[in-house]
Amino acid sequence: MFEIRSRRLDVARVLAAVRDPAAGAVVVFTGTTRRTNAGRRVVRLEYEAHEAMALREMRRLAAEAKGRWGLRKVAMVHRVGLVPVGEPSVVIAVSAGHREEAFAAGRWLIDRLKEIVPIWKKERYRDGAVWIGAQQGGPPRRRAIYPARRGR
Amino acid sequence: MKTVDIEVCFFAALRERFGERMLRTVPRGTTLAKLWRQLTAEASGLERLPVRFAVRERYVEPSYVVRQGDEVSIFPPVSGGA
Repeated sequence: MFEIRSRRLDVARVLAAVRDPAAGAVVVFTGTTRRTNAGRRVVRLEYEAHEAMALREMRRLAAEAKGRWGLRKVAMVHRVGLVPVGEPSVVIAVSAGHREEAFAAGRWLIDRLKEIVPIWKKERYRDGAVWIGAQQGGPPRRRAIYPARRGR
Repeated sequence: MKTVDIEVCFFAALRERFGERMLRTVPRGTTLAKLWRQLTAEASGLERLPVRFAVRERYVEPSYVVRQGDEVSIFPPVSGGA
C-alpha cells in the first residue's frame, strides 16, 4: 500500500496491509509533528507533495528495502494538506520474518523518505510561516538521490 | 540561435516565489544548472538553496540538457515525514 492522502491516516489500515503469515515481526512507524519546533509554537501544518513522483519514490524505496532485508511486505502512507498538530503525517509498516530486519528496514525507510521523497512541510506560527528545509542553505545532502547508474 | 520550449513546475517555497508553472524558451543546450542560475538571477536570495531537479517524474542531475517539450520540476529541500 502506497498512498498520498488528504484525510486522517488510519494506522490500523496500514498495519493490516502488511499482514503476512510468514512474518514473525511487524514494525509500524508513525510520524507526528511536535507542538513546538525550535522553540516556536506550531499552530498549523500543511504538507504539499509532487504526488505522482512521491508515490514512485516510495515504491522505489520499498523495493530496495525488500531486496536488502528480505521483507515480506511494506506499506507507506503520507498525508498532505492541512494536518492538525498531534495527528500523524506519515505511517510506515513493514513485515519480516524476524524483528531485526523489520526494525532496520523501518528505520531506513523513514530516513530515506525524509531525504528524497518530494514532500514539503509548512509550519505556521502565530507570527508567520516557514517551509521547512527551504531556509537559506537548507540541510546538507547526506546521500545520493539518484538511482545507481547501470554500467554501459 | 535555436531554442527549445519547456515548462517549469515549482513546489512549496519555490511555488510561492515563482508560481506553480512557467513556460520558458531557452537556448538549445541549456542545462538545468544553467536554467536555475537564470531563475535565481531574477529572484535573489535563492542562490544557495540546494535544489533538485526532475524531468518527467524522475530525478535527473543538474547537468541534464533540456529538450523541446520537457516538463521540468524544481524542488527545494524536501521535508516530509513529520
